[in-house]
Parts: sequence; structure tokens; C-alpha cells
Amino acid sequence: MANRIQFENNCEIGVFSKLTNAYCLVAIGGSENFYSVFESELADVIPVVKTSIGGTRIIGRLCVGNKNGLLLPHTTTDQELQHLRNCLPDQVVVQRIDERLSALGNCIACNDHVALTHPDLDKATEELIADVLGVEVFRQTIAGNILVGSYCAFSNRGGLVHPHTSIEDLDELSTLLQVPLVAGTVNRGSEVIAAGMTVNDWTAFCGSDTTATELSVIESVFKLRESQPAAIVDDMRKSLIDSYV
Amino acid sequence: MRLEKCWFCSSTVYPGHGIQFVRNDAKVFRFCRSKCHKNFKMKRNPRKVKWTKAYRCLHGKDMTQDSTFEFERKRNRPERYDRNVTEQTLKAIPLITKIRHERQKKHITNRQKQGKTKERERDAKELEQDIQMLPKKDVMLSTQKTKVVVKVSQQQTEENLMEET
Repeated sequence: MANRIQFENNCEIGVFSKLTNAYCLVAIGGSENFYSVFESELADVIPVVKTSIGGTRIIGRLCVGNKNGLLLPHTTTDQELQHLRNCLPDQVVVQRIDERLSALGNCIACNDHVALTHPDLDKATEELIADVLGVEVFRQTIAGNILVGSYCAFSNRGGLVHPHTSIEDLDELSTLLQVPLVAGTVNRGSEVIAAGMTVNDWTAFCGSDTTATELSVIESVFKLRESQPAAIVDDMRKSLIDSYV
Repeated sequence: MRLEKCWFCSSTVYPGHGIQFVRNDAKVFRFCRSKCHKNFKMKRNPRKVKWTKAYRCLHGKDMTQDSTFEFERKRNRPERYDRNVTEQTLKAIPLITKIRHERQKKHITNRQKQGKTKERERDAKELEQDIQMLPKKDVMLSTQKTKVVVKVSQQQTEENLMEET
């Protein structure tokens, strides 16, 4: 179920937070509103951790992770690294990597099985991604943009990509990632999908500028609507009721 | 906060000191003082500049490979905080630094010991070959200075004593 929120009056949720199936990272904001929304949704399911990376708040674009691991840029300080290691569960491997392209969130998009990376990423980094995150790595571009991490957002159940992606590209990516993909926008027509929203297998958070149409597209492609009890009852009604009196 | 190493001379850069230069290929160069920074700008190679650690390690003047250096390596995969481990580490740090300093001093004394034996060899060779350079008087003294063991019988010494008195 998708929520609409803001970080200090800014609708770019994917910049200030990182949501995976095993944990959620949130930036340290001036007020607790941002953090409290995540907490109310997720606190009893997964750990919600407040952190900074290299002293900055743009954590969503600097780090990349899934339920198996978390990759951090070389600008992460030792204290932040230790804080993350202490707060995250032991199954999640926390690793800092030395990579020229330090905004890992913009260069790498991943779910629990597959990752798409920037075509200029180092070979060593690619191997580390495959090792730490436990994914298959593909070097791809999306609608001609090399920053795959920013222009697409996908989970294990579906994905949303840049609106100008051609149908052939969409089909190719869909076969690579093995999930249904849709080309759409977020935050009233913003093309930078991953910066505007953050998603995992059962929830999504979008900027408050997101229109109802965009929200319905997001809910349908990431299959978030099924969690509502009404849908389940409708499906089961036919099998439950024999005949109407 | 992290104590970094100067790129040029390899000394530690403490907070509030030095300059950090970021090149266009995103490589960061840290310098401890303007001396190192200016040498870098002159495009000098630290491996050829005698007072840097890079030169000294390359030419075998300072200890390079030791297990104590492994403790200071930068680690990218942290471990969960454990109070006991932290306590033991804090106790161990001054011990490790002491041992490292001792080993470094030992390395230098060992290096200089070879000089002493070489000096002895040179002196022995000079004695052997160039002995005619010394004046005859001194040579006689040196060659005739052999130990002769004289057996003195008990009777003789007593006679001498009697004579004196």
C-alpha cells in the first residue's frame, strides 16, 4: 500500500531514505515526522535506522542494498559504518567499497535476485556486488541514461522505469529482471523514479506531489493492492458461496 | 574523524592540519604540511625524495613488512560492537605500538651492525697489505709483540728475594 509523504517539505523520498525487505534507512531530519511515518508502517516488521553517510542526508542515492547486504561508498565514515553494522541484523552484510562512482544509489538498481549497474562500473565492484548482495549483475542503460539507479525502481514483484523507455527496451529489461515493468512517472511527472519514491515487497512511499493516477499505477505494478482485505474477499467469494438464496 | 596518512611523506595528518587535493579522476591526495604539498605540485616522486617514508622503505632503510602493521590496515567490513573486544583492543594498542617501535629500532641497528664488521675487515686487510706504509720502528714493535711463556721454578724466585734483601 503506497503512502504519500514529504521530507522537510521535499517530495524526493528516494533521496532521503532506502527501503529493502530486511531494513529501512532514513535520513536525520530536522523534525521526526519523516521517521515516524516509516516507523508506524514498518517498526514491528523490520528495523528502521536513522543514519547519515559521509555526514550527508542524501543516503538513498549514496548506498544500495537488498535483504542480503548493504553497499556503502568510500566517503562513509568509520563511525557511520559501525553504527549501521550495530543496527542492522546479522544476515545483512555491511560493506564499504572503494569506487570512483561514489553515488551507488544512482549507479546500481537492485532487488533480491538481480541488479542493473552503470556501464562504467569497475570489474572489482561488480564482483563485490555479486558477492555481497547475492545477485546477478547486468550492465544496462535505461532510455539511454547510464544512471540506472535513479531512473528505475524495482522490487521482487514489479518495476517502474523512466517514462521515455521504448517498448523494446521495456521487454528486454523485463526478461532480464524477470519482473513485470511499466514506464511511468512519479511526483507529478518527475522522470527520476528512484529519487521520487522508495519501494519494497509490501509497501511503497512516494512524494506527496504524486497524483492519484501515478499512485494507482505504482500500486498495480508493484502488486501492493493485494494486501488489502477487500481484494482477498472478492476473490474468495465465488468459491465460498455456493448459491444465492 | 580519521587520522590519515600524508600522500608524500606518509606521516599522520591530524585534524586541522594540512591540505586535501581532489583530482579530476576522484583520487584524493592528503598532505600533512605545505612542504609536502609544494613538492607534489613540483611533480616530485616521493620514492626519490630522501626524507620520505616511501624512499626509506624502498631502499630498505626502514622496516617494511611486519605483522604489527596489519593491525592498522583500513577495514571495509566492520564487526558488531562488543564491549569486551573493544576493551581488549584498547589495552592492546599501547603494547602493539611499543613492540612496533622496538622492532623498527632493531631493524636499524641490524642494518648498521653490518657496517662495523665491514670496517673490521677493511682494517685487517690494510694491516696485511699496507703495513710498509707504517714507520719501521712501529712495525718492529707490532711484529715483536708476541707472548712468550717463561716457566719460573720456585727455587729461583726465592734466591732472588734473598739477594734483594
